[in-house]
Amino acid sequence: MSILEVNGLKKVYTTRLGGNKVEALKNVNFQVEEGEYVAIMGESGSGKTTLLNILAALDKPTGGTVRLDGQDLSQIREADIAAFRRDHLGFVFQEFNLLDTFSVEDNIYLPLVLAGKRYPEMRKRLEPLASWLGLSELLKKYPYEISGGQKQRAAVARALITEPRLVLADEPTGALDSRATDELLQLFRRINQSGQTILMVTHSVKAASHAGRVLFIKDGEVFHQIYRGQCANEELYQKIADTLTMLTTGGDRR
Amino acid sequence: MRHGFYRRLAWTGIRQNRKLYIPYLLTCAGMVMMAYIISFLSQSPLLEDMAGGATMESMLTFGSWVMGIFSLVFLFYTHSFLFRRRKKEFGLYNILGMGKRHLARVLIWEAVLAAALSLGAGLLAGIAVSKFAELLMVRILDGNATFTLSVAPGAILHTLAWFGGIFLLILLNSLRQLHFTKPVELLRSEQAGEKPPRANWVLAVLGLALLAGAYWLAVNLEDPVAAMVFFFVAVVMVILGTYLLFMAGSVALCRVLQKNKRYYYQTRHFVSVSSMAYRMKRNGAGLASICILSTMVLVMVSSTVCLYAGLEDTIRAQNPRNISVEAYVVDPAALEGEKPEQVRKLAEQVTAEAGLAPENVLDYRQASFAGIRDGSQMEWYLSSLYTTTSPMDTSEYWQVYLIPLEDYNRITGAEASLAPGEALASTITAPYEEDTVTLNGGNTLRIQGRVEPFVRNELDALEMFPSLYLVVPDFVEQAQALQDTVGDETALNLSWYYGWDLACSDAVQLQVWENLRDASAEAELEASGEEAASYFHLYWDSAAHARQNVYGLYGGLFFLGILLGIVFLFAAVLMIYYKQVSEGYEDQSRFAIMQKVGMTRREIRRSVNSQILTVFFLPLLTAGVHLAFAFPLVYRMLSLFSVANRGLLAAVTGLCYLVFALFYVLVYRGTSQAYYAIVSGKGE
Repeated sequence: MSILEVNGLKKVYTTRLGGNKVEALKNVNFQVEEGEYVAIMGESGSGKTTLLNILAALDKPTGGTVRLDGQDLSQIREADIAAFRRDHLGFVFQEFNLLDTFSVEDNIYLPLVLAGKRYPEMRKRLEPLASWLGLSELLKKYPYEISGGQKQRAAVARALITEPRLVLADEPTGALDSRATDELLQLFRRINQSGQTILMVTHSVKAASHAGRVLFIKDGEVFHQIYRGQCANEELYQKIADTLTMLTTGGDRR
Repeated sequence: MRHGFYRRLAWTGIRQNRKLYIPYLLTCAGMVMMAYIISFLSQSPLLEDMAGGATMESMLTFGSWVMGIFSLVFLFYTHSFLFRRRKKEFGLYNILGMGKRHLARVLIWEAVLAAALSLGAGLLAGIAVSKFAELLMVRILDGNATFTLSVAPGAILHTLAWFGGIFLLILLNSLRQLHFTKPVELLRSEQAGEKPPRANWVLAVLGLALLAGAYWLAVNLEDPVAAMVFFFVAVVMVILGTYLLFMAGSVALCRVLQKNKRYYYQTRHFVSVSSMAYRMKRNGAGLASICILSTMVLVMVSSTVCLYAGLEDTIRAQNPRNISVEAYVVDPAALEGEKPEQVRKLAEQVTAEAGLAPENVLDYRQASFAGIRDGSQMEWYLSSLYTTTSPMDTSEYWQVYLIPLEDYNRITGAEASLAPGEALASTITAPYEEDTVTLNGGNTLRIQGRVEPFVRNELDALEMFPSLYLVVPDFVEQAQALQDTVGDETALNLSWYYGWDLACSDAVQLQVWENLRDASAEAELEASGEEAASYFHLYWDSAAHARQNVYGLYGGLFFLGILLGIVFLFAAVLMIYYKQVSEGYEDQSRFAIMQKVGMTRREIRRSVNSQILTVFFLPLLTAGVHLAFAFPLVYRMLSLFSVANRGLLAAVTGLCYLVFALFYVLVYRGTSQAYYAIVSGKGE
């Protein structure tokens, strides 16, 4: 059964001055199966971020539906949305989005505290996760004291600690150097292999080449998709690069 | 580049940062206005020919110094705030290829524009308002004035020079800052990662100790003279203590709360406690300043209002009757001679000439000395002792009065009778519980009964020393005996008081008083006397005359209290506003993150609200506590000015606090709008 079903998704923005309509998403359809690792690619302005915001229930679509575990996001009451997001989704952002007022440990606890969990339970969940992600030594540190890669691992821990159905990652490697990028992508692989469903938005070919399936968005539509199949990362990388070239040049000709 | 370029750039800079710039300009203009008004009033020709005008003038001159120094410090503070926010902009210009020399030109233009705007607006407003202030001042001094708008070039020049200097210093400071920072730092200055605040226990405990010490001093200093001296010590301790507590104590408290896992990891406390530590670290100093300013406003306004409101009581306490004469003699028998009768006649005669009759006549004799009490012993206080014992410790000093029984019976309408060696006792300020009193090692009087105070004099009104009134049947003998114990016949203060009220205006009273003094001089009643026995000195006093002086002094204090109160209030309001705005910018990104992590907007708003509320009402509450502890001290100091009305002071202080709190809430409400506008601008 699909964890995520996106059908006929449409989003129209009205610019503040002049009232011009801008169509960010035209007609987006795709599904994500349980345990999949999907990357969504597209250039800046292709509608990636809009799509992610709608999937995260941070924004409302103009038309179409998003179903998570069969539940239509637009049917959830406004007051329950935050709780729904907290319980079902985990987020990893480009800018890490750790609160600088919290230690690493407290940053990871944040969603659990918001859900009203007790400290002993939180502690029990954190310990295995922290050692798995190599964070055990860093828990008492503050975000300003640790490197970008370490921050992103803390953010991953924060996303995973609620045991979400789906992890949404928005350009997770965007602010990392190449070594940290490699480490993080390895980590995502491992997380996915443990059964976690991941949806990643990126325009890095390298990041996408680690995914199981890559969707390409152009002008507000899913333009193409590639399955990894039996390909190694390098082969997938080449395929993605070719597709992107085709996309770009094809777009120019049209 | 064309000449107008930098000017336009500066102007755009001001316009684009109007959220920060407009309050800054308003403050500058407000400060200029107040400075002009104070300067204008101190040079007002009206003061010269008004009663109490000279006192008022010197007060206002003092006030203009306070004003000048305060505006220097305060404008520096607000501008540094403004400049910090704008560093990023300058960094961007720098990276886009503008050299520091060009940026300096933009800064200079900005400073010129800001100075021109605020000086222009401030002076215009000052000129417009100054006349009203003048009318108010004249009103407070109890005089008359007509409404004519006038401009004082001297005051304008003074204000221009002072504030021009301030603006120049501010400009030089920002140029210095610009010069010493690198462009990348300019760009990043706003988002430089901040270390988590450490709890500094030493400072927190020190702050607590200072505050406790100051409070202890305020409550336990019984003696008004000591209160006056230690007031400043206490003020400095409170200021230091407040700063330390706000900056270190608050962080320490947050850390303690964080240690308590069960408390800390609750949805309601989690975000608030941890952000609070940061908030307090950044804002501790500012909040402490708001707290100190608020306390200053409250103490100043409430005490000066109380002084002014209690003015008539003060005058009455110092002058129990409208017109009075006191006769001082050396020989106790002289008080019973014919001289007093002549004075009475003269007084009646002169009063009658003015078509008035004396009312409410008060007529008594007294013998008094300052004593040091030891049990039931009243030791003569000798001037030589003054140098050997500590002048600070006045707690055992008593003022002792002997009053003839017949005068007591006449004043109170009582029909008491006493045997020689007996006395009726009456005390003011402190109780006297012994059964006997020995006067300077001589006669011992048995206290036969205790009676309510029946006369008060100027010294009682000060309430510096307790007074013991002893009504005795054998006044002359007792006074003589007392005088003999010292050997110095001038040490005892022997006098006769004769005073009465008049049902007429102050002007007529003054006239009668003048006439009395002339008539008395003409009748040659006084005898400076080579012989002690005939010494007879008269001192004529008038409440109307005292009123003129007292209004000059207290009215001046009152007026200055109000003016400076307004200035400090301005300052406090602006600081609150800037705090809100800076909080807003800092919370903006945090707000967005928390929403993404799964906090509802309502939760965020509630959490932020409670933090902001705590942060902003902490100073108000602390100011309230400071005020409560300052109360006994203020009361004792005011008693030096002979306003010893505790109820009045309490009521005025309470009222001031309420009004201030109301005002504070309004300002908070107003400024929190600005806060939410900023926070939700990007947070959605």
